[in-house]
Amino acid sequence: MTIRREKAERLADEELMPLIGEKDPEAFEVFYDRHGGVAYSLAYRIVGERAAAEDVTQEAFISLWRSGARFDSTRGSVRSWMLSIVRNRAIDQLRSKAGKAPKLAFDDDAILEQRPSEELTDDEAMRRETASAVRGALGQLPGDQSKVIELAYFGGFSHSEIARMLGVPLGTVKGRMRLGLEKIRGELAEGLA
Amino acid sequence: MTNEHDSRCSDDVAAYALGALERGEASELEAHLEDCERCRSELRWLAPALQVLPDSVERMEPPQQLRDSVMAEVRAGAKREQATSGSRQRAGWLSRIRIGSLSWRPIAGLAAVALAVVAVAGYEIGSDSGNGGGGSQDSIVTREDSGLVATMVPEGDGGRLELANVRQLPKDRVLEAWVQRGGEVEAVPALFVPDHEGRASTTIADMEGVETVMVTSEPEGGSKAPTSNPLVTMPIPE
Repeated sequence: MTIRREKAERLADEELMPLIGEKDPEAFEVFYDRHGGVAYSLAYRIVGERAAAEDVTQEAFISLWRSGARFDSTRGSVRSWMLSIVRNRAIDQLRSKAGKAPKLAFDDDAILEQRPSEELTDDEAMRRETASAVRGALGQLPGDQSKVIELAYFGGFSHSEIARMLGVPLGTVKGRMRLGLEKIRGELAEGLA
Repeated sequence: MTNEHDSRCSDDVAAYALGALERGEASELEAHLEDCERCRSELRWLAPALQVLPDSVERMEPPQQLRDSVMAEVRAGAKREQATSGSRQRAGWLSRIRIGSLSWRPIAGLAAVALAVVAVAGYEIGSDSGNGGGGSQDSIVTREDSGLVATMVPEGDGGRLELANVRQLPKDRVLEAWVQRGGEVEAVPALFVPDHEGRASTTIADMEGVETVMVTSEPEGGSKAPTSNPLVTMPIPE
């Protein structure tokens, strides 16, 4: 049984998931339209190729379609779950390409593009605020902190690999990761206050 | 608990949150987290910082063809679900199959042929046959004569099945994985397709009691039971 799209559009992600679990394509389409953009963008950011990003995004969404009934809301939001799938698959693809360096860019202050405001839902507008906050937080991080976070999250490198790349001790890398994340977290907390 | 211990733990928790710990280190930290509320709290506190990182990337519009492709697969799956909702029992011959038996051996003319386990460590069932398929301290690698290589990498209670050198499928076909557990064949929920380089992977959430893992080519949306001979068959030792 499917529900009308306009009804599905009024539902939160977590409310869509039971419908997706019942194989409702309208509910899934709404979910894709909400998050396909960020999922594809994240995949492209990691793999650096459009075709590969499409493969990763498609695999991730089909995986969610197949396993949506098993979503456990106590483990976080659907969106975070979805993006974790995308990231893991993208990193897997990167790692499988021996000798190919991941696309890395450290000028996060300049890379966030906004979609036209008329396309934005309230949720999306809120995410823009959040994106703006995290962009600001990343931009304000010392370069050595943002670099290790970039290499780990978007490059899929372990702390020991990063230490070798940067020529610094393991403890230094982990310390920079902690300081960077704590600062981002602090900025978010201030933004919500 | 000393300040030095706190700082070291916090550093490890941050690296863990970013997925930057080595596998063994991550396992050690997970064990530590079970007993350390302070570290669990630290991890919970950091989680929002991780969740917003995807929002920091340049926003790109996904191509319309991607949406069309995803939705075509989804709608085909939904139709298939409706068509089969009243008849979920497996076909008779499939419900009786024994995956390890000859009835599941691939047949001539299809891509798949019998597989040989060539390297094992994590599951300890054999030794490297010199295939060049690799193998690690925690993976099973099998190979197929025509070149398809399957690797099973343990992940927690489950595992990740990775395929290489998979032939491109027709647009109306997908890969579906199956597990045999206690003589029963179960579908792995996530369908998958090979990428442009013939690589494909899926995750099996629970490997407890699994005797054999297989992959077949199935129609869009997958099948409730295998409808073709397996492309790969991987015995899983106890």
